[in-house]
Amino acid sequence: MRNLYFVVLAVLVLAGLSATLFRYYLRARRSADASWEDILNRLVPIDRDAIATIALDVVTESGESRAEEDSFALDNTAIWSLLGGLKGLEVLERNCQVLVDLAAYVQRTYPEALMVAEQLRLNAREIEWHVSRLKGAAQTGNLQASFADYAQRAVVTYYRMTRNVLALYDHAGFTRLAELQQAI
Amino acid sequence: MHLSGFDVFAWAAALIGHLILVTVLVVRDRVRTFPFFTAYIVEQISSAILQYFVFYHLSFHTFQYSFWSWSILDEILQLLVLYEIAVHIFCPTGTWASDVRKTLMGLVAASAVVAILLAWLAHPEAPYGIQRFILRSNFFSAMLMSELFVGTVMLSVTVGLPWKTHVARIAQGLGTYSIVRVAIAIAVNFVGLHPHGYFFKDMSHLEYFTYLACEAYWIVTLWAEAPVPRELPEAMRHQIYTLQRQVENDLIRIRAWRRN
Repeated sequence: MRNLYFVVLAVLVLAGLSATLFRYYLRARRSADASWEDILNRLVPIDRDAIATIALDVVTESGESRAEEDSFALDNTAIWSLLGGLKGLEVLERNCQVLVDLAAYVQRTYPEALMVAEQLRLNAREIEWHVSRLKGAAQTGNLQASFADYAQRAVVTYYRMTRNVLALYDHAGFTRLAELQQAI
Repeated sequence: MHLSGFDVFAWAAALIGHLILVTVLVVRDRVRTFPFFTAYIVEQISSAILQYFVFYHLSFHTFQYSFWSWSILDEILQLLVLYEIAVHIFCPTGTWASDVRKTLMGLVAASAVVAILLAWLAHPEAPYGIQRFILRSNFFSAMLMSELFVGTVMLSVTVGLPWKTHVARIAQGLGTYSIVRVAIAIAVNFVGLHPHGYFFKDMSHLEYFTYLACEAYWIVTLWAEAPVPRELPEAMRHQIYTLQRQVENDLIRIRAWRRN
């Protein structure tokens, strides 16, 4: 009887491992085979002016912190409204993954751009972390109190990432830079 | 004691395959990139030669002792090959990516726990206790390797870290072999070892053929060169590294912000 339990459980684990491997293998393959257009098409349209408004509330155009008296002028309600709530933040999260893929596209052509791609990847993960904190706050009913802290930080990171990716593509001399600038 | 015709064929084929593979690693200058994988292949060669000698010229007790010692070394080296693969994937800039360290440690711990629990649950039928132990430890080893392999693939895809060509080929070979080994080990543990049965032998043959296919795959793919990267122009190199420093400074500022 014990051996039967073993077989059932072991077969289930093996099936789970095989299915997981197959699923992630396909995902990795899709990512590696993706063309410039494929990656760009995954971007979810976002109100770039709203993003800039939230980000420029705490940083300057060049990414420098604003003086204390000039920063954090937006209140929670304004940030919530500009961003479109938690859904807006999730859009940022998805777009961050696209930005990483775009950076990886350059990396495939010039592997020496690895450092920048890795930094952008870490930024995207940081935004994911902020979003996960917000989701946790939503579950405990503290969303409104936490939203501005985490969301604004995530938006600023996203804003800086878009600037860095555009700079990267500009340096790489991509002819379709204007198209990317429109998308992000 | 004597070896069957198939045993001699399998022994010779695997040995020749390993000799070709180690030649490929040396000629294509991959030893420095994959020291643990090379050590694993060299260990396979040494093991095949020494165990053949021990089997024919020394006592059965000495052969068993030698078999177990090599099996333990074999397992350790396979784990080190997986570690080497993880280093190539998760240390893209020379240090471990900060967002994967804890997950990776959790993955190793969880894989070990699942493999131990399943191996403990296994209760194969066999005439001797030592045979039951061998069947269960084979299952444990194959399950642990498979879980770690699948976990590594899953984690790398989730966090967006790409695989370099040869790292991917070594992992694919080892991973596929481990998963086939798990399926075989489940079947063998279920059916058990019977003095006049052929099931265990048939399954061992299947495992041998899988490993030979894996060896052939490694030989072909490690002989081929990875796609040649385009050289980064000096001006762009300077711009990209300047950009990298800017991003680092941005991050330090962003993390330090506190809302008043």
